[in-house]
Amino acid sequence: MTRFLLKRLGLAVITLFLLSVIVFAVSTVLPGNVGRAVLGPFATQESVDALNEQLGANRSIFVQYTDWAGGLLHGDLGTSLTKQVPAWDLLRPALSNSFKLAFVAFIICVPLSILGGVIAGLRYGRPTDKGITIAGISFAAMPEFVTGIILILVFAIWLGWLPVTAQWEEGANVLTQFKYLLLPALTLTLVLFGYIARITRASMIEALDSDYARTAYLKGLPSSVVVRKHVLRNALLPTIAVIAVQVGYLVGGLVVVEVLFNYQGIGLLIYEAARQKDLPLLTAGVLVVGIVYLVVTLIADILYAVLNPRIRFGTAE
Amino acid sequence: MFGVSAGLLGSALAFVGEAGAAPTAGQRLEAVQAGGTLRVGIVGFGASLEPYLLNEGGSLGFAGIPAEYLTFTTLDGKVVPWLATSWKPNADATVWTFQLRKGVKFHNGKTMTSADVVASMKQYVSAKGTNAGLTPFFDAAGVSAKGPYTVVFRLKSPIGAFPYLVSQTTYQAPIQPAAIAAKPGSWVESGMIGTGPFKLTRYVVKRSAELVRHDAYWGGRPPLDGVKITFYQGTAPMVLALRAGQIDLASQLAAQEGLPFKNNAKFKYFAVPTANHRQFCMRTDQGVLKDPRVRRAVALVIDRPQQIEKILLGAGDLGNDNPFWRGFSSTDRSTKQRKQNIALARALLSAAGAEKLKFNITTWQFADHPDHAASIQAYAREAGIDVGIEVMDVSKYYDSEPAGADYATTTPWLNRTATLTEYGARGVPNIYLTRAYMSTGIGDWNASHYNNPEFDSVARTYLAASDLASQRKATKRMAGLLLRDTPVVTDYFISYVMATSSKVKNYVPEGLSHIRLAKVGLA
Repeated sequence: MTRFLLKRLGLAVITLFLLSVIVFAVSTVLPGNVGRAVLGPFATQESVDALNEQLGANRSIFVQYTDWAGGLLHGDLGTSLTKQVPAWDLLRPALSNSFKLAFVAFIICVPLSILGGVIAGLRYGRPTDKGITIAGISFAAMPEFVTGIILILVFAIWLGWLPVTAQWEEGANVLTQFKYLLLPALTLTLVLFGYIARITRASMIEALDSDYARTAYLKGLPSSVVVRKHVLRNALLPTIAVIAVQVGYLVGGLVVVEVLFNYQGIGLLIYEAARQKDLPLLTAGVLVVGIVYLVVTLIADILYAVLNPRIRFGTAE
Repeated sequence: MFGVSAGLLGSALAFVGEAGAAPTAGQRLEAVQAGGTLRVGIVGFGASLEPYLLNEGGSLGFAGIPAEYLTFTTLDGKVVPWLATSWKPNADATVWTFQLRKGVKFHNGKTMTSADVVASMKQYVSAKGTNAGLTPFFDAAGVSAKGPYTVVFRLKSPIGAFPYLVSQTTYQAPIQPAAIAAKPGSWVESGMIGTGPFKLTRYVVKRSAELVRHDAYWGGRPPLDGVKITFYQGTAPMVLALRAGQIDLASQLAAQEGLPFKNNAKFKYFAVPTANHRQFCMRTDQGVLKDPRVRRAVALVIDRPQQIEKILLGAGDLGNDNPFWRGFSSTDRSTKQRKQNIALARALLSAAGAEKLKFNITTWQFADHPDHAASIQAYAREAGIDVGIEVMDVSKYYDSEPAGADYATTTPWLNRTATLTEYGARGVPNIYLTRAYMSTGIGDWNASHYNNPEFDSVARTYLAASDLASQRKATKRMAGLLLRDTPVVTDYFISYVMATSSKVKNYVPEGLSHIRLAKVGLA
């Protein structure tokens, strides 16, 4: 186990290093510059140049990277060029917000999607299966923006049950925060439901058709026992891998939903940093999301190995 | 009464200040309940809130609540007193003397004096605090105090309309306390201290801000207890929030976004005519559009009323290929309006040997730009002109090309054959002329590279003119030259659209995104 974790840690460090290099390298081909983003399109070039000089944004990418990486080795994620505050001061609340939304979306979406997939698998070929499959595909095919607008119109404007924006008063309790997060979380649930449910359904059908399931039925075990103890355990393995990837998306990839619900998450922060060519903030943000991906993937691998006795840590890599 | 000499700036004389907040002076006020908090929606902004850096609607809206200016340009194009109560030029309008309002308190309790105005203005023309609106007109040595309530501006050249240039339409010039103004970049950090009716108590970047009533406000006690601002990442969620009753006022909407509030008893819809416009610039110095007949032909293909109807949903005014908006006092209105004339356009193209004219319009992904370019493309087709459209990202459009190259000679917005660029509302057309039309603006904002000594001369006459008759005579001549040469097509001016809940009383929108709340109350 320790060897496994150490290996994963080593790989994670290499991945994050490459990630930061790629972000800096790619940024060289991005148009725009920080001074222009801060001062606006009609500022004189002299003012823009002076600001870039002051911010150090006119240094070569290599110098900027080594400067940033040097700070990182001392635990400093750098300073946002456009906001002139430590990047972590901007990332911390945004990351916290993203975790909250991801958590609410996760606890609604994952059980619902797995349940949908399991029911569809068990009712394979029947109207229930077709209904769940068609609904899932329809929701997944609909852009997040459209799904979100429909939910807002119905639940916030017509019924007036839920707030439009996911922005609660300072010091609001957990239940209030949950209420504010419901609409964006439901939007994400509808987006992800089809994907997760379909994977679960396919795995269920495969597991139900397996030799071990057939043997269990032939042994005379009740259906509920066969499904719970034999089928589900195997059918959920691919689902876990899929969910792990989606958690990364839920934390770091929600620009559209964050804009629509006016939610200050890390996806939006990274997007803006990219637009303004705020390299320290952009790279630090990508790095933080990268860490989230790696941690979630690691947890999924461990869970995978725990659920599947055939896989041991030595081979789970 | 206010020291503006007779014969000078009729527009400036047209309003005599009264006690109370200048921006709402003369307004018929509805009865409102004292108290309550107004919930305002503002579109988030990427750049700084420091006064000298203000350049986006969102930052103007927010900063404009605690901050105030020397003068105020009204919606009907007059300049009226605000923190200054009167002004007087010398004989050739190169020296302007402003008398300041007495008894004005900053949010920190300090009384506003000429030292604060001088320090603020010095910052705005200094190397670090430079802004586009004032630097062409005076430098740091050109502003000085003459007693505690008198400020003197010595200009680089005569400017008859100078009082307009220190109004809110030069949005980067609010008055700060001297100690803060002396350190450019410290206004936000110090709590955005101004003289406005509400003072900042809390600001969470990109999220929200709270302001409370400034009890010592010089214009009388504001009815509201406070203001709560929510910053939105886009207009769509802000519109939805207003519809759901989560906010009371949504600023700066696109025409389409304002529609749900039009003729809806629960809301008030505003479409305020402004000088906000687009400049469709054609290179006059090189390329396929060099011949003025060709540029006139391009201008003649456009169906302007239809554009306003289809693109702006009616929220706009006709443009006549010059920057002289009908709301400017100095605009001469006798110039004949250019109309669509495909036959004449074809004839001009034929005369110029450009029957197979083909060119690209370069613009960026902003507001109506892509639709605007597409409309020109469609109209041009009727005259056999093949127009391509290149829509860029903002940073590409306004950056040098390639990055690091000489800006003035490579940036797309100043160097492509034809470009479509946005120009915000101003109180007078001065800055459009000096930077976008006169030859001195080549390499600055003059994207058509228009270089006409006659035009420059008339423009200088206009800038120096101290009376409306001379100004109008000059704008008439300039309009004629611009119709003949057509370096720029200005096919429409855009109204400022916004909406409030019907319970918001006494709100008067501005052509810019500033939000004035001194007299606003809730029903």
